[in-house]
Amino acid sequence: MDVGLIAIGAGIAVGLTGLGAGWAEKDVGAAAVGAITEDVSLFGKAMVLMVLPETIVIFGLVVAILAAFVLPGYIPSA
Amino acid sequence: MFGRKGKKGNYAYLVARVKAKKAGLLKEDAYSKMLMMSLPEISRFISESGYQKEITELTGRYDGVDLIEHATYVNMARLFRGILEASQGELHEMIAADLGRWDSWNLKVILRGRSFGLSVDGIKEDLVPAGELDLAQLEKLMACETDEDLLTMFGRMQGAPVPQDVLSRYKEENNLAVIEDYLDKCFYEKLLLSIDPSSRPKRLYQDFIRNEIDITNLETILKLKKEGISGEDVLQFVIPGGKQIDRKLATQLANAESLSAMANDLAQLDFYEEIKPALENTDSLREIVAALTKYHNEQAKTFSHLYPLSVIPVVDFMIHKENEVNNIRIIARGLDSGLDREVIKGLLVV
Repeated sequence: MDVGLIAIGAGIAVGLTGLGAGWAEKDVGAAAVGAITEDVSLFGKAMVLMVLPETIVIFGLVVAILAAFVLPGYIPSA
Repeated sequence: MFGRKGKKGNYAYLVARVKAKKAGLLKEDAYSKMLMMSLPEISRFISESGYQKEITELTGRYDGVDLIEHATYVNMARLFRGILEASQGELHEMIAADLGRWDSWNLKVILRGRSFGLSVDGIKEDLVPAGELDLAQLEKLMACETDEDLLTMFGRMQGAPVPQDVLSRYKEENNLAVIEDYLDKCFYEKLLLSIDPSSRPKRLYQDFIRNEIDITNLETILKLKKEGISGEDVLQFVIPGGKQIDRKLATQLANAESLSAMANDLAQLDFYEEIKPALENTDSLREIVAALTKYHNEQAKTFSHLYPLSVIPVVDFMIHKENEVNNIRIIARGLDSGLDREVIKGLLVV
């Protein structure tokens, strides 16, 4: 039961941060495409800005990994 | 869930595009350089500054000042149409309503051209098909036999027929001002209706347009007063919907004896400080109009920084682009007519 809850928690951590990143990227991506349409030389800068919100998912992933692999060691029943 | 319904508008995409386009507009020092050039040099200079396609296309048909004028108009029309086509949802609606000013402009050009007996080709050269009506539709309008047919067809194309009383007044008085006044009032009415003031940026845009109406009204009042027209004759040309110049203030301004007598009434306007030096130093309308235009441009710039994801940066770009085209045309026309460079410089809005 506890392991099941940990798995759900890990899933939520990755899932919600993924949604958050997507929410943030929708406008950044649209603006990046708009800027690149006018000036191709902006591709590098646009790409960097585009992937910045992805860091949120990395935080989520770290939390999920900690939850999945480290947390069960602290639970006596697991 | 994410508010991505088609009707919301693609603000991020379009604003990024217009910001990139705005970065490519001519800077202040470019106008100083152009003032020192000859007409062929100006053509070459602007062809290296974003007008290359149009200069190349038209260079076989025109030269000198005509080439510059046509290339700048064609470029502006293409650019505005491109922006309109790239926009979606409510953003598209607002831009289309704003570009409606070019439909009015084109109709005025056609009517004026016909009244002066210009050929269809002659009129076509001054059209800017940046609005709802494309060149094919404008050609249809030009093919109409009488002005009445033309106005009826225009009303049909716009989905708002020109009222019978306006048509009959135009026929009786044979005065283009009747139609021009109707078109201006109609345009601003439609534009204000297209803005749903449900959010702060849209309310700001609405204020901006109402301020534009005030500026237009003040220009009209000043121009008419300069011609010695006052009272009710002036008031009939005042566009309703202004923010600060209401009917009462417009009446006071219209009935004032002179420019200095108007100063007290004008002092209550937000933009009085901007036009005060021009009002005090000169009786020349040119400088007052230039000060008003400059104020309007500055306002657009300020507003566009306040709300980056709104229609205002798009409108700000369109105003600056139109200003650039006007400046290039003033320089070209001025140099062609042999005007002094300092006088031309004074006419520019930078």
